[in-house]
Amino acid sequence: MTRKKVTLAYIANDAARKATFKKRKKGLMKKVSELSTLCGIEACAIVYSPYQAEPEVWPSTLGARRAIARFKNMSEMDQSKRMVNQQGFIRQRIVKAEEQLKKQLRENREKEIGQVMYRALVGEGLQGLTIVDLNDLGWMLDKTGKEIEERIKKLKKSAPDSEQAAPVELQADKSSEEDNGEAAPKSNAAFNDVVAAEAMQNQPWYMDLLKPRNEGNAMSLGRNDLMPSYPYKNPTPPWSNFYFP
Amino acid sequence: MAKKPSLGRQKIAISKIPKKNHLQVTFSKRRSGLFKKASELCTLCGVDIGIIVFSPASKVFSFGHPEVEFIIERFLAQDPAPPDSGECRLIEAHRNANLRDLNGILTQVLEELEAERKRGEALDEMRRESQRQCWWEAPIDELGLCELEQLGGSMEELKKNVMRWINELMKSENSS
Repeated sequence: MTRKKVTLAYIANDAARKATFKKRKKGLMKKVSELSTLCGIEACAIVYSPYQAEPEVWPSTLGARRAIARFKNMSEMDQSKRMVNQQGFIRQRIVKAEEQLKKQLRENREKEIGQVMYRALVGEGLQGLTIVDLNDLGWMLDKTGKEIEERIKKLKKSAPDSEQAAPVELQADKSSEEDNGEAAPKSNAAFNDVVAAEAMQNQPWYMDLLKPRNEGNAMSLGRNDLMPSYPYKNPTPPWSNFYFP
Repeated sequence: MAKKPSLGRQKIAISKIPKKNHLQVTFSKRRSGLFKKASELCTLCGVDIGIIVFSPASKVFSFGHPEVEFIIERFLAQDPAPPDSGECRLIEAHRNANLRDLNGILTQVLEELEAERKRGEALDEMRRESQRQCWWEAPIDELGLCELEQLGGSMEELKKNVMRWINELMKSENSS
């Protein structure tokens, strides 16, 4: 079965056009038959062609006459309400495609601005951006910021203990959290791991956020009031570092 | 926000669908697809077609080229050829020219759509790549509490800088 992209235009080549006609007419009849059977509805299809005098008809001449009769029995309004010709149909398709395009453009823009945001977070400058870009960036920061707040609230609800809790209490909390079944075990485990690590190493927790993640890619982060506000990564970053210790 | 993968194409038995909702959805989609195939056949091969379909709720949908009524009349009259005259040919020529234009526009929009979809996939791939290297690019749901607070703080800082920078730009725009 060839899957070439076909241009939506009259096929000039006679042989190609005839071959396409045969195939697609057959496919069309199959589709109308399936529709009728699957949904238990009445239908008919009539196809004229320059290749034969009589039209090709589904389900049969008699079946088509019956469908036409039922059609004509309906009011003018019912008939024309969902009636369409080529012009109308193609216009509908254009409208639909334009809506999808608008949606896709918006999604892509969001993804782009997200990228800009993450790059800015690691120190890439804001210079090249237009005011429009900056506004969108601000919007994205607000939106993500809100999501973070929500998530923090949720996590704090199911892990009400303070961050400086001793390991012993942590164990108890961990099991009670599991009992609740409310907390996301993964993120709480991360939280507990970090706090436990801190408690064990006897250092302020924010100094040593060496968190192995994704193939042991360890990075250290600064706390806002102690170190530069932007988190800085390990020595081989994809983008240039703003602050390098 | 990744799109949830749908069930995709599944083989289906050709017999009446038992569930009413499923039946209605299938009718809607397949009717639309049927008209699309008919429209393409008309465009590609320049033939006249008429389709009448009754919905499960007994509403009627119809597609016709050049018009549903013409096809019906021609069929009932058992007319081998459509009425032909100078006037008819002129009308037909106009109609075809108009359809050529519309198809041209449709093709263009579909191409743009396809291009944007590809761009979207490329952006997704870039995001996935950088997520492997930077933990803070992971979805919010996957971050731990202190990571979130860290990230939130950095974002607030950045937001302040952005607002400051916007003001700078607007000031220089006003003065120039």
